[in-house]
Amino acid sequence: MESFEAFFTRHRERLFGYLMRLTGDYDLSRDLLQESFTRYLSSYANRDPNPTLLYTIARNALLDIRRRQGRALHTDVEPTAPGDDPERRFLVREQYRQMLSALEKLKDTDRELLALAATGDLKYRQIAEILGISENGVKVRIHRSRVRLRQILEEMNHERASDQRLHRR
Amino acid sequence: MKEHLISVFIDDELTLNEKIEFVRAVCDRPGFKDATLHLIAQEQWLRSEIVPSEHVPHTGPVRRFGSGLRNLLRPALAAAVVAILAAVLFYPGSGTDPRKVAHRFVVYRPDAGQVFIAGSFSRWEPVPLRKAGSSGYWELTLALPAGEHRFTYLLDGGRMFADPTLPAREQDDFGGVNSVLRVGTG
Repeated sequence: MESFEAFFTRHRERLFGYLMRLTGDYDLSRDLLQESFTRYLSSYANRDPNPTLLYTIARNALLDIRRRQGRALHTDVEPTAPGDDPERRFLVREQYRQMLSALEKLKDTDRELLALAATGDLKYRQIAEILGISENGVKVRIHRSRVRLRQILEEMNHERASDQRLHRR
Repeated sequence: MKEHLISVFIDDELTLNEKIEFVRAVCDRPGFKDATLHLIAQEQWLRSEIVPSEHVPHTGPVRRFGSGLRNLLRPALAAAVVAILAAVLFYPGSGTDPRKVAHRFVVYRPDAGQVFIAGSFSRWEPVPLRKAGSSGYWELTLALPAGEHRFTYLLDGGRMFADPTLPAREQDDFGGVNSVLRVGTG
């Protein structure tokens, strides 16, 4: 049986990435990460490690926070970018913030589907169990969500291009 | 045509038969190939490793107090708290001393009246954490020298517990367990 330490090490960063994609909030994601492992450890430490259960706990913890505090998208993060070129870092940060904003425009389940799939940690079967939908439903909806995300990003780019043309007049 | 095979490919869930179908579509249909490449690039962005983008510089010293590991509950302890505001994890060198790394300690103990931390960085004197509103979380940010540190949390009655988010632990000389934290070592 895998030790809890190995389980923790294997899933920690990916679970954090899942929380970040849903919140865009670095500190909140770290707190939820800790809470999720704490809850998992206190209730399920004697069972075989179960990533589906871990992500379900994290998802529920986030839903609890949102019920109490509402949803506010924070974009106080950026992807790692090689080098210290400030212009490049600015562009990378703006693109990532645009990605997070586009994710916010998706329906809740679609956003969660993409966030869970992007962890690379879970099979479709496990995602279906977490969200309470069929595996075939996951397979089809994930693709629709990705295509929809692409459309949203293109619309945002078009709007920005239009704004820039207006301001130049 | 099953366009959703693009996502099944991205997610490594293709069956053997689906792999054949997918490869044929990529070879025979330029639009399918372009859509695949575009969605893979989009997924790369979505799966980017992320870091915090703001630094908050070190603004003052850490004042430590308390009598020792086994004598915790004085009212003065709760009153004499000082925490250092600093950058969050992964930004070594923030603050006035570039060799120190800011680390934020966070623990979820809604049942506690007060949570302390004691470690090699505080000469094992307990330092109280701050309560984060009514969330049940306790927090403290400290500027730590790069390297390895040992510490434990203490609940109001003196009961010690390790950091649940850190897998590295070791036994101490009093029959307890300390967490081992490594900062700024790459």
